[in-house]
Formats: sequence, structure tokens, C-alpha cells
Amino acid sequence: MVIDRSPRLDRVFHALAHPARRAIVRQLSIGERSLSQLASPLKMTFPAATKHVRVLEAAKLVHRRVAGREHRCSLLASPLKDAMLWTEQFRRNWEARFQALDSLLEEMKSEEQTRVRRPRSR
Amino acid sequence: MNQAPTGLQISTPTDTTIVLTRTFNAPRRLVWEAMTVPAKMRRWMLAPPGWTLTVCECEARVGGVLSLAWKSAEADPFMTLQGVFTEVVLHERMVHTETMALGSGQKVGEQVEKHEFAEENGVTTMRITQLYGSKEARDAAIASGMDQGMEAGFKQLDGVLTHAA
Repeated sequence: MVIDRSPRLDRVFHALAHPARRAIVRQLSIGERSLSQLASPLKMTFPAATKHVRVLEAAKLVHRRVAGREHRCSLLASPLKDAMLWTEQFRRNWEARFQALDSLLEEMKSEEQTRVRRPRSR
Repeated sequence: MNQAPTGLQISTPTDTTIVLTRTFNAPRRLVWEAMTVPAKMRRWMLAPPGWTLTVCECEARVGGVLSLAWKSAEADPFMTLQGVFTEVVLHERMVHTETMALGSGQKVGEQVEKHEFAEENGVTTMRITQLYGSKEARDAAIASGMDQGMEAGFKQLDGVLTHAA
């Protein structure tokens, strides 16, 4: 695998290296959140959450805007795409489902064969 | 030639599409049944960890409704997927709209999904084309894939980092 060792990608990987920041990214993948909404489920203080969001901002993974007294954060997807990981994860999720579908289809095929072999059986 | 099923291929031919291609070792009428009959859909439409599929309705006819809902004990307790079939050719192709929303009613995604099935020697090739309203929406859909199995993803990232070092 050829990896472009760009400083930008380094910042993305550094930003994602902390579990709290991954939890923030995960939260933001559902939709926009205020800083306090991000802090509370992570049992994090407001300043700690702010610090992590700043690192994510520096990596251009997160965009922060001020709305009244709130700081609203949202996920910027394109740097994640650069990391390629996300497409692969997306693919794996679907592949897991399709493997379950493979098993179901095997079951359906054998049920059908049983019916063909013994059409009158009860 | 009877091929073994090949793993899922993903491509992004345009800025607003995702194409998923997968083969199944079964005739297409069975694949169709597994993908449109709710009792069968429940068997393979695996929910993310911590989530349960609570509603699963599907009427594969033009104007028919697709309705799925998941429940979780976490912060946002509900997630719904609602759609309407706009084109149905039995065992061959189906097109439906899809809107994902949170329990609060907030929309989190919208797309058109086209399924095409081709059968050869008992093996079915399925092609799903997901069409999004914008590049941002398409990228967000890919990014949301990390929701299931984030840790597995990061293990892989560790591997990439080790090789890059």
C-alpha cells in the first residue's frame, strides 16, 4: 500500500490517536453538536472537551461555529476520506451484512431442495 | 462457469454516488426474496452494536413503502429509515428513495438507491447504486460507516501507521 506521508495526513492521524477525540468524531458523525453536548456523555469537563476539539480543528476534521452563546461543532468529512480508512470501514460493515445474507441464501436453497424432493411430505 | 461469491467491491464513479457490487451463490429470485421480505431482511440487516432493529416493513411495488427503525439505549434512542419504491421490475431491478432520521425527526441523510440483479449459472451479481444530493452528503455517508466497529477501524489504522513509519 502506498501511503502519502503528507503533514496534513499526519495531523489527521495524530488527532485520531486519542480515544476521547475518536469519541467526539463518532458523536459528530451523527450530526452537529454543541461543545457541552459533546462534553457531557464523555464525562469530560468543558475545558477538556474544548482542548480536544481544538486538536480536531487543527487537523481540519472538525468545524466550529459560534451560534449565540454556543459553540456548535460539525464533522468535516473530506480529511477522513484522505485517510482511506473510512471507505474501508464502510465496505466492511456492508460485507458483514452480506456474509449473513450468504448464510440465509444457503438455508433458503436447501429448504427449496427439500420441498422439491418431497413435494407431498408434511 | 460457476464462480464462488466474490467479496464486496465499492467504487465512487462520480462525486455523488457510491456503487456496491457483490455476488451471491444463489439464483436472483432468492436474493430478491431475501432483500424484500421483512422476515428474511431481519436475518441479515445487522444493526450496529448496541442497536436493535425494531421496525422492518417492505413492500416492493411502485409506490410501496420501505420502513426501518432501530432502537438504542444511548443518547439518540431512535434512528429511522423511510423510503418509497419508484421502480420495480421483479427479480431484476428496484429503485427506492431513502431518508434517514433521528428520533427527534432531524434528517441525517437522504439518497436514492438502485438495486440491479443479474444471474448467470445460478450465481447472482447485485449492484447497488446509491445516489446522494451532494458530494458532502456522499462523503458523510462513507464517514458514518465508522460507527459500526470503530475500534476495528483503528486497529487497521495502527497497521497503516506501522507500515508508514
